[in-house]
Amino acid sequence: MKYFRLIWRNVFRKKTRMILTTSSIILVLVLIVVLTSLLQAMQQDPSGGRGANRLVVQHATGLANFLPLSQRQRIEQIPGVVAVSPQIWFGGVYKDDRPENFFGQLSADPEIYFDKVFDDATIDPAVKAQWKANRNSFVAGEAIVKKFGWKPGEHVVLRGTYIPISLDLVFAGSFKAGDESNVFFHNEYLNQSKWFGADKYTGIYYLKVQSADDVPRVAAAIDQMFENSDAPTKTLTEKQFQLQFMEMLGSVKFLVRGISLIILFAVTLIVANTVAMSARERVTEIAVMRTLGFRRTHILGFILSESVLMSLIGGVLGVLLARYFFIPGMVKGMQTTPMAPFLLNFRVTVPTLAAAFGISVGVGVLAGFVPAIRSSQIRIVDGLRQVV
Amino acid sequence: MAIPLKYNFRNLLVRKVSTGMTVAVIGLVVGVFLCVLALAQGVTRTLSVTASTRNVMTMRVGSQAEMQSVITRDQADQIQSLEGIERSPSGKPYVSPELLTLINVPRQDGKSSNVQIRGMAPIGLEMRPAVKIVDGRMFQPGTAEAIVSRNLSNRFAGMRVGDTIKSGSFRWAIVGLFDAAGSAYESEIWTDVTDLQAQTKRQIYSSIFVRTPDQGAAARYIETVKGDQRLKLEGKTEKKYYEEQMVTGAPIKVLAFIVGIFTAIGASFGAMNTMYAQVSARTREIGTLRAIGFSRRAILASFVLEALMLCLAGGILGTGLAYLLFNLVLTKPTGTMNFRTFSEVLFNFRLTPPLIAGGIVFSLAMGLLGGFFPAARAARLKITTALREV
Repeated sequence: MKYFRLIWRNVFRKKTRMILTTSSIILVLVLIVVLTSLLQAMQQDPSGGRGANRLVVQHATGLANFLPLSQRQRIEQIPGVVAVSPQIWFGGVYKDDRPENFFGQLSADPEIYFDKVFDDATIDPAVKAQWKANRNSFVAGEAIVKKFGWKPGEHVVLRGTYIPISLDLVFAGSFKAGDESNVFFHNEYLNQSKWFGADKYTGIYYLKVQSADDVPRVAAAIDQMFENSDAPTKTLTEKQFQLQFMEMLGSVKFLVRGISLIILFAVTLIVANTVAMSARERVTEIAVMRTLGFRRTHILGFILSESVLMSLIGGVLGVLLARYFFIPGMVKGMQTTPMAPFLLNFRVTVPTLAAAFGISVGVGVLAGFVPAIRSSQIRIVDGLRQVV
Repeated sequence: MAIPLKYNFRNLLVRKVSTGMTVAVIGLVVGVFLCVLALAQGVTRTLSVTASTRNVMTMRVGSQAEMQSVITRDQADQIQSLEGIERSPSGKPYVSPELLTLINVPRQDGKSSNVQIRGMAPIGLEMRPAVKIVDGRMFQPGTAEAIVSRNLSNRFAGMRVGDTIKSGSFRWAIVGLFDAAGSAYESEIWTDVTDLQAQTKRQIYSSIFVRTPDQGAAARYIETVKGDQRLKLEGKTEKKYYEEQMVTGAPIKVLAFIVGIFTAIGASFGAMNTMYAQVSARTREIGTLRAIGFSRRAILASFVLEALMLCLAGGILGTGLAYLLFNLVLTKPTGTMNFRTFSEVLFNFRLTPPLIAGGIVFSLAMGLLGGFFPAARAARLKITTALREV
């Protein structure tokens, strides 16, 4: 620590170089935080890990085929099942066809939905009561409400796509949850609209079992029960259900990871180049220091510390700027782009920021390593003889 | 008079390590940029290629994708009798009522995906001239046979000729593979529409695929459908339909834009650092050049050119890397999700000449940004102080 001042002064010896290198570290960290958070938003686990005792029943052939509502009662009778909510994906158009106005629209059974099934969502009891009481009302994730600025009592019209009706819904209020990218309305409302299937069929069943231990048994029981019926089922845990969609994003995920790794490597090269250039310019100086009695390990430590210190400064600034400046701005800017639907669950978490900070330290160590070793191995006579 | 380029070139060669690292950084950044763009390009091309302006898809009003549309038998019968539909040499109308649904099937990597299965009239194959059967034969109606695209066959498990596709209680025997010239059909399984209706217990169609003799006839046909109040259907040319589906690629383009801007600025800072170091290491040299008569402008141009050469080398390296990556590693088609249909779209990364040109321009832009300020500093040096420098 007693050499901290020396290292500090050396880092700031050439201000332009220091600022440029730190800036590139900052830019790369911001980009990595954005990419990681986007990936997390895409594979959002709606319960934040608490959905371990929830199951989704879908048609064995996939989501495009509906299940008869008569199955509900039979599923409810399986021991261990707490509550079952049939749900239909409406997939309607809000305002216009542009992708930025897309959000999830699902019907649900309001009597049990927030009480027994999606029970880790936070919802004001008054809002819940109002939703239950009014057949044409709906509740929405807070992120969506913020985006569109809906006020309680406001009418929202969703134009059907594969279901050929329009829903005229009244906004009851918002809920908070890990996944805030959906709105929920009454199964009954869809039913009442006389769409041919709503009184006989449902898209999926979303259900809760008593404990996580019941999950495999109940899932097997459901699938067995309907195996030879007209509508065989495939029961998945909530996580597996989400993964279906993530698996299809497969290559995008791979791409984002790959990009992150490559740009990290690139920024390591930039920092290494900076440290190497600065060490090369100081060969004579290093030789003088050695003459004065500093050991090779000292020199190694100085150069490595310079690299780490520079990366740390970049890391701290990068994380702070990402959190408070770049990301709020970018999220705002992307609201009108096709990226918008992914932003509803976009959150920058502390672990992501911590990881980014950790990465900056790693970059500093990796980048400083080679120049530090080379500088420490300079022979005093060569160093003193060299004219830069 | 200008300073010869050889001077810059040799200077770059002398400082091997520093030059090499900067070239590598620029190369990586250009490579990443090209990868993301090639992905977007791949998706876009898949959805636009070989679509015809003569083929018209008729769907329910307001449907964004075929999968969302429902057409009854009555409606389908009425469409068959509309004017403007071309007839085959044997006198059959070119009409294929089609049903599209999703099935969840296992991939070769052990995971599973939703795939579109299209029921069609056998004449539907003839109406899509870009699609060729490359192995086996066409399916026979009434026998639960199917043909799959060669791409799907490579990506999914149990999809070779002779295999049986199983999903829930559905069974299809694969009798052939087809090649769809890189179009969206590459992501589909094809079977007879009546068979698909029977297996899924649906008595409806998703769309009616119709061929018209020319573009004018296509437009007239679309008008007729629109004008018929009883039908409540709308027609779109195949080309227009797939153009509208391209929104799938749009988020990737936004991503490319963000990644491109951030990495480009970061990398040009790296280049700027290298160039500043060059200027300060060569201060005396610059003084000498000025003393023997080269103007400030010549110095400025020389250093900017040196930065451009540096970054151009990086650009070429990056393009090369991307080219190798696409031709050696990412040769298999890859998939991404079409959010409108929840099914997988298969595509290939495509490195087109405009993209390559874009990558080079991108690297030169970094060179210009990274080279200008150091060059300006070099040009501003006073001869006397520069020559006195150690």
